[in-house]
This record gives sequence, structure tokens and C-alpha cells, in this order.
Amino acid sequence: MASDDDPTILVFACNWCSYAGADLAGVSRLEMPPHCRVVRVMCSARVRPEFVIAALSRGLDGVVVLGCHPGDCHYSEGNYYTRRRALLLKELLEHVGIEPERFQLRWISASEGAKFAQTITEITGEIKALDGRREPPPEG
Amino acid sequence: MEQELREIVRKLLEEGAIEYFIGYAEGFEPLHTTPCFIERGEQVQALVWSPLCPYNLARYLHQMKNGAGKVGLVVKGCDARAIVELVKGNQIQRERVVVVGIPCQGQVDLAKLEDAFEGVEAVEGKGDTFLVTVGEKVHSVEKERLLREKCFSCRHPISFEYDFVLGEMSPLVYGSESEFAMVEELERLPVEERRAFWRAQFERCIRCYACRDICYACYCQECIFESKAPRWLEKTTTPLDNQTYHLIRAWHMVGRCIDCGECERVCPVGIPLRRLYKKVEKEVEQLFDYRAGMRVEDLPPLVTFAAEEPALSSRQDRSER
Amino acid sequence: MIKKAHLTQWLDRVAQGYDLFGPVLDGVVQFERVNSSDQLVFDYANSVVPPKNLFLPQTECLFAFRREEGSIILEPRGGLERERVLFGIRPCDARSLLLLDEVFNSDLEDTYYQEKRRGTILIGLACPSPPQRTCFCTSLGIDPLSPEGVDVLLTDLGDRYLVEVTTEKGEELVGLSQELFFPSAEGEKLKGEKGKSLEEVGEKIGSLWEDGYWRELSRRCLGCGVCTYLCPTCHCFDLTDVGSTLSGKRFRCWDSCMFADFTRMAGGVNPRPTGKERVRQRYFDKFSYFPEQYGVLGCVGCGRCSQYCPMGIDIRTIINEVIARGAK
Repeated sequence: MASDDDPTILVFACNWCSYAGADLAGVSRLEMPPHCRVVRVMCSARVRPEFVIAALSRGLDGVVVLGCHPGDCHYSEGNYYTRRRALLLKELLEHVGIEPERFQLRWISASEGAKFAQTITEITGEIKALDGRREPPPEG
Repeated sequence: MEQELREIVRKLLEEGAIEYFIGYAEGFEPLHTTPCFIERGEQVQALVWSPLCPYNLARYLHQMKNGAGKVGLVVKGCDARAIVELVKGNQIQRERVVVVGIPCQGQVDLAKLEDAFEGVEAVEGKGDTFLVTVGEKVHSVEKERLLREKCFSCRHPISFEYDFVLGEMSPLVYGSESEFAMVEELERLPVEERRAFWRAQFERCIRCYACRDICYACYCQECIFESKAPRWLEKTTTPLDNQTYHLIRAWHMVGRCIDCGECERVCPVGIPLRRLYKKVEKEVEQLFDYRAGMRVEDLPPLVTFAAEEPALSSRQDRSER
Repeated sequence: MIKKAHLTQWLDRVAQGYDLFGPVLDGVVQFERVNSSDQLVFDYANSVVPPKNLFLPQTECLFAFRREEGSIILEPRGGLERERVLFGIRPCDARSLLLLDEVFNSDLEDTYYQEKRRGTILIGLACPSPPQRTCFCTSLGIDPLSPEGVDVLLTDLGDRYLVEVTTEKGEELVGLSQELFFPSAEGEKLKGEKGKSLEEVGEKIGSLWEDGYWRELSRRCLGCGVCTYLCPTCHCFDLTDVGSTLSGKRFRCWDSCMFADFTRMAGGVNPRPTGKERVRQRYFDKFSYFPEQYGVLGCVGCGRCSQYCPMGIDIRTIINEVIARGAK
């Protein structure tokens, strides 16, 4: 099912919930598009918006940040900060013409393996539906 | 007003209340002022004030970080917000700064002035007009014709943060244009048109960093763009590199931008930077009811949160599921 | 001579045989590649970014590299596809290219620069009168109506241009549309006015190394790159590899002595630690080091640094100050 047309998506997953959720999706052998690269971070609040900007500017097709559901953060409040930042960042990206589909924040708990697979499938589809891929980093 | 300013500064210096004073002086020609540093009472004659003083002098307060003495400076209403932010960010101590507030009559856009007149010698604000002196003649021009864009939506012509204030406290509001009108204009475009618009702007950028270096809020010891490890940005100036630069900078303006408009003024290639930073300002104001530089006690929007955020929830479906 | 109405016709003919560059309005006036003369603007004082970027681009890929089976493969980059014509260069900028030639063709030839330089024919446009308020080329012995350094110079005479052809390549260009050109009457060449000479700045600056003026100046200076990037004679660059150790590209990019990291070394030591040293460097380079090496001042008086300095710092004021303070 892998095809070169599939967009490459960078996924930041929090160590305590979402990464475990991704793991569960894997051990459950759920099907999902293979063109995503998961980076484990200790908390979704670890994801500096600069990471997202840099990734999108270097030719990745999308960036997804996954964190614990509000109220469930291992550090009590990390994901509340993430929520504020993500909304602002999305507005900024959209303002310069980067489609909102390319940067998304989702809450995935350790038990939500199926939601992880579904989220990746859904977002891959959304990004694929946009006109064309991100332009690759420039040639010299 | 100039004379009043000079007397205050002379007194401050002679009493030893401040080490130096940052003000405006005449530059290489009457229309070009330049910042100046006054250290002795006899130098105060150099100080000038007119609608041709765009510089946000609070930027120079970065230099006092390592000193111990006091510094004085003159601020317009828009610049005063920088002082509040610098105090909030622990960059300066308020008690080490002597602020002379000046009621601004609106700042003149030099390009508009040069288009309208040749050989201008002086400009003075008076009510709804600017008095433009050309040779022997004084022309009275409606302010709207010559104002800088940012002054049209000015909410603070007079410094609300001051130790001394010159002239009268009469709030002036120019035009009825919403301050975010230019942002909304862009927002109405389809996303691909916005992309094309900014692409054309960023393509021109020569990354001289004037917009960063003139910004009062850019006080980091090491700028992210100069960090070698990790390396966030290459020196190459491809459109994507330039986009990275401007997006990261815009992000760093969250809760900091006071719309002094200096970045846009100094950009040599004419990138409309206020249309970028104003977007950030607008969202911060609408989502978090926060306006930078108003009160030292206000918590910046990204260092706080609420468990329930009604303002966010209206857009939540877009950002989280 | 050529009639004004015929100029675009000639330039369109030129654009068929060459890559034509000229002043266009892209936000601000810039020298850019055009397909036809209607993209050009004719009433401009000068470009914001000087034409040096056509010869020393701000970002230039020198070569690509990759590792393959134990060896490293290099693919050279650069080179021109077609000969280029640059229309509209001003005499100050033409002079700046002669100065850059000295730099890039001294001990070792810089092939990337020289290739572009040799492959570009220059059509100069003598300066309109009055000059911009920041112009001061005449104070440095440059004539704003001089054909020095260009292949063809056009001087505006109302409804027509005086055409001065100084090289064979220039002849070739004129030859493309010979029918549009007609002989000029005697004595139509205008003479540029000479300004007050500031050339003694070169003799005076040497004595001012420790002068307090540099600190004074640096307090106002923000340390941005406007003056250096817009300077037609500034030519410092940095080399940077983009990619991985397996494959990538080597770029050369403009750099600026006004940036703190220009001289910062790997260990963190910086021989020019504050703005004072950096500001001093810029003016010593222009007025002392450059003349020492190449026998000519490193400034052409285009005035861009004064015009665009965010804080209104003016190079003429600095020169006058140096002349007033310095000893021979």
C-alpha cells in the first residue's frame, strides 16, 4: 500500500500517552500509511514551534503533534501550553499560505492505538488531497 | 517643546540623576533625524523633536543591561509599550530609566512627504494638519496625506508610562481604520494567494537582519539564527530559508510586538512586515485578550493557561480532536 | 545617438540574443532578468541592492558533492548559459565592479566571479540631475556621466540618448540595431560637476585607530547588515555546506563584518568583540586597507549606506569627522 505519492509526515508523540498509543497501534498490527516518521518527545510541550516551522520549510509535507488528553498530562499541565501555542502557530502558518491540514494537534492516550492509526490515515489523506506536495528544498 | 525637553535633560544631567540621555538629533539633512546620546549639559542643544522622529529609542536600553547608573530617554506613546515589556522581561529595571513622555502628533512617512514636496526644511504637527516648511512658504497639509501607516490606527499617541511629560495630554486618534484591517484583507484571500503574496515578499529578503536588530524585543544573548548547534537556519537565502527566518521571527513576536513599526520602516527591500506581525498581535488579542506593553503585571499569553479556554474552544475543532 | 522612443526596440533586440538584466520594480527597484523591455523601469535613481549580486550572488552554489563507493564525487556548479547584458548600471556601480575585479582577480582568479564578469556586457546609464541627496560620487573623484567600466554608456538628452561605445562588445550590441542609431552633433557630451573632494579621508583615517569616535558611532549602530549588503564594493562571504556528510552542496553566501559572528571563532573568542571594533573595521577597510592593497579608496559614493541605514548613520558625516579629527 506504500506509494511514493504518499506525503511524508513528521509526528511528535509524547512519551507517556501518544507514543504508547502508537506502539499499541503497531503491536496490534493496525494498517496505516507508512510515510510517517515518529519522534518521541517527553511531552507535547517539548515541541518548540520552531521545530514545526523548520520541518515544513525543509520540505516535509506535514507535522502532527500528539499529546495526552487535557487533564491527563504526565506533568499536569504541559499539554495546556501546547494547546495555546498550537492554535496560534496554526493561525500564523495559515496566514503565510501553509494550509492548516499540514500542522495538526491531536490528543491520543496510551490505550488509543486505533485512534493513532485512524489519525495518521486521516491526516495523510487530507494532506494528499491538497494541491501538490510541498516543494522540495532548493537546488543549488 | 524642544526647549522644554532640553531644560529637563540639562537638569537631569547636571544633577547627576542620569548618566546619559537618549534623544533625537538632526541628521545629515533636516528630514533625517538620527538618535543621539547626550552626556553633558552643554550638549542638550542637539536635541530635536518633530514628526520626523520614527526611531523607537527603547531599543537602545539594551545597552544599559550591564551598567549600574540611570539612563533617560524620550518616548512616543507607541514606544512606551516597549519600556513596559522590557521591564516585564527583566531586561531593565524601571527605576533605572527616566522616561520623558512626549505627545506625538503622528509621524510623517518620509516617502509620502518626498513625493508631495521638494526641498522640505521642517515639518510640524498642528491639530489635523502638518505644517510643511519649504523655503519661505509654509504649507498646511491634512495629516492623512502624510502620516505613516501605523499612525492611522494609533491608540496611544501619548506615553502612558513616564516620569516627565511634555506638552498637553490630548489623545488623538487618526482615521477610523481598524488596526487589523490590513491583516483581514489578507485573510480574505484564498490560502494559495496568500502563499504567493508572501513568497514574493520573502524572495526579496536579503537577510540583513535589520528588522531583528532594530526590534526592541530582540534582546536574546544569542539569537536563534546565529546558533551553530543546533543550526536552525543556513546562511543561504532561498525563499524557503527566508520563510523560515520570517516565520520564526514572527513566532518570537507573540505577546511582544507593540507595533512600533520599526521593522517595516527599515526594511531596505520593502517587505510589509507589519502585515505579518499584526496577524500575531491580532490573534493574541482575540484569543487571549492580551496586549503587549500595557501593564507590567500582565502575564504573557504563552506562559499561562486555563483548564477551560472558552475563547479557544470556538476554534478547537480546527486544532484538536 | 538613439531616440528615446527607439531604446526599447533596441533592448528587445538585445534580449533575443542575450540574457537581459535591467532595473525592474519588484517591491523596490532591483536589477533582475527580464524577457522584454516592458518589464523595465527607466525613471529610477538606482537599485536598492547593487548589481554586485549579478557577479557575486548573495547565495551561490559552488558545487555539489556525494560519497559513492568510497570516493567523493564533485559536480561543479555555476557558469552562464548565455552571455548576459546588464542594462542601466550607474557609473558609481560600474566603478565598483572595477574595484571588485581587483579583489577577485588578484593572486588567484576567482573563476565563479570572473566567468560572470566576462560573460556580461554592461550598458550604463549616466545619472540624472539633480542627484539623490545621499549621492556623493563626485567627492570621490567619480564622474556620474563617465563611461568608465561600461561597454556602452547612454546619457539622457531629453528626447534622445547620447551613446558612447567604448568596447568591441559594445559595438556588437549597437550593431544589432544599427539602423536605430544616428551620429551626434559636436559637443553634446555633458560634463559632470565635481563635488568637494573627500579623498583625503584615506590619509587621515590611519591616525584614528584609538579614537573615541568609533565608540560614539557604535552606540547608534545596531550591527545589522544593511550597509554592507547594499554596498557595491563590500564583498565578504562565508562558505557553508548544506546537506549531510553523504551528499550535499557547498554554498557561498554574503557575510557582513557588522555581524558579531563574522569573526567569532569556534572556541567562542571574538577578536572584534563589540560594535566599536566592528564599526571601525568597516571604515578602515574602505578607507585604509583597500587603498593599501589596491591603491584606490574602497568606496564609490553611491550613498546606499546613508540612504538605508536604519538609524540614519551617514557615511559622509563619518568621512568629514575623520578628516577633521585625523592627522596625516
